[in-house]
Amino acid sequence: MLYLEQAQHYSESELILLLTQQSETAFSYLYDHYSGALYASILSIVNNQEAAADTLQEVFIKIFRQIHSYDSSKGRLYTWMLNIARNAAIDTTRSKGFQKTQKNQALSENVYDLAGSAEIKTDFIGLRKLVHGLKPEWRVLVELSYFEGYTQDEIAKMLDIPLGTVKTRLRAALKELHKLIKE
Amino acid sequence: MNTQEYIQSGIIESYVLGMASSAEVAELEQLCLQYPEIKKALNDFELALEANALSKAVTPPPQVKKQIFAALQSNFVENENKAAENTKALASPLNEMMVVKMNQPSRFLAAASIILLVISGGMNIYFYSKFKETTQQYQALVLEKNTLQANNQIMQTKSLDMFNSMQMMTDPNMQKVSMPGITGKEANYATVFWNLKSKDVYILPNKLPQPANGKQYQLWAIVDGKPVDAGVISDCAGLCKMKNIPSASMFAITLEKLGGSETPTLSEMYVAGKVG
Repeated sequence: MLYLEQAQHYSESELILLLTQQSETAFSYLYDHYSGALYASILSIVNNQEAAADTLQEVFIKIFRQIHSYDSSKGRLYTWMLNIARNAAIDTTRSKGFQKTQKNQALSENVYDLAGSAEIKTDFIGLRKLVHGLKPEWRVLVELSYFEGYTQDEIAKMLDIPLGTVKTRLRAALKELHKLIKE
Repeated sequence: MNTQEYIQSGIIESYVLGMASSAEVAELEQLCLQYPEIKKALNDFELALEANALSKAVTPPPQVKKQIFAALQSNFVENENKAAENTKALASPLNEMMVVKMNQPSRFLAAASIILLVISGGMNIYFYSKFKETTQQYQALVLEKNTLQANNQIMQTKSLDMFNSMQMMTDPNMQKVSMPGITGKEANYATVFWNLKSKDVYILPNKLPQPANGKQYQLWAIVDGKPVDAGVISDCAGLCKMKNIPSASMFAITLEKLGGSETPTLSEMYVAGKVG
């Protein structure tokens, strides 16, 4: 039985077709295949297992409900799902209930300090772990934009850096991140 | 354009990670259609990101999947296996109980509708029998009405005949000839009305026995001592019109064979009367 399940494999286009037909089997496969990756990405933003699990649940329900709006000509299914997960995770960190629990844990101080000081968080996972390998002036930008969801405008004001500089540095940081991902 | 420079600009990473502005997104999507190398670079980064993420996956708590599938259960389109499962589930006693477990208002409504159906059925039978009965009564009434109407018409005709007879009898030109029963037949009596102007003869058979089968009364006028046929008396109301008789000294009635005779059978004479 286990062998059979492992042997079952869909091409991405097959999987998408079955998902748009609301197939339970295909959705189960999607979950089994991608929940770990998406959970890790949510966890890297939320950094709280309970909240991350809730967010993951929300994300998969969203994926199921919005599969019709996915356009394969614009990118891969995982990219689309990752963006849903990232947005949902950022929303979670911004919710009132979540911020209360984080305060109790005395973790949320100045975003900049938090992003800049590697000592506070040592248990980063996934992409965030890679981001922590970047040099500090890049790392802070990726932290604020990708993991915290601030716009480049907001970051420029927050850090008192020209918007052009934020843009250039961020692009350079992402290129470096690309290299680290490939390694 | 220099596609390599564009690819190296970091815009692709920015796009994939959802950090590009809407203008940048539109530009990249447009360029992907134009330049396959840009599309390839995009796809390469997506694959690398996905592979990295899959390799560093963290298994979520097992209840998450259960919760998701429970929440979406009603949304999945059933395949054949599921349909079979459902059939099985329906047959199980647990589900039977669920079928029986209706809420209170539904049970009340179901009971009420069954009772109403039974009452309605009973009323249908009752009304149908009533309907049949009434139809029969109606048909009997129609028949009776027709009979009464026919009788009424007969009465009207008779009454009109009587009126006409009375008019004739009281005509000043009308001569009345009484014909009492002859010797041996004194109980009988008939009257002839003779219009002296038109010479028409009418008979009123006041009292004559019912003629035997195949027999008919015949009126005779005695002209110059000889009997002249004045017609047979048929069943008529009031006065019966007879033959025209220009002159006569006497009238008599005999019982003859049906249709009358040439000469009177004198032995069968019932009544006779002189004119004047």
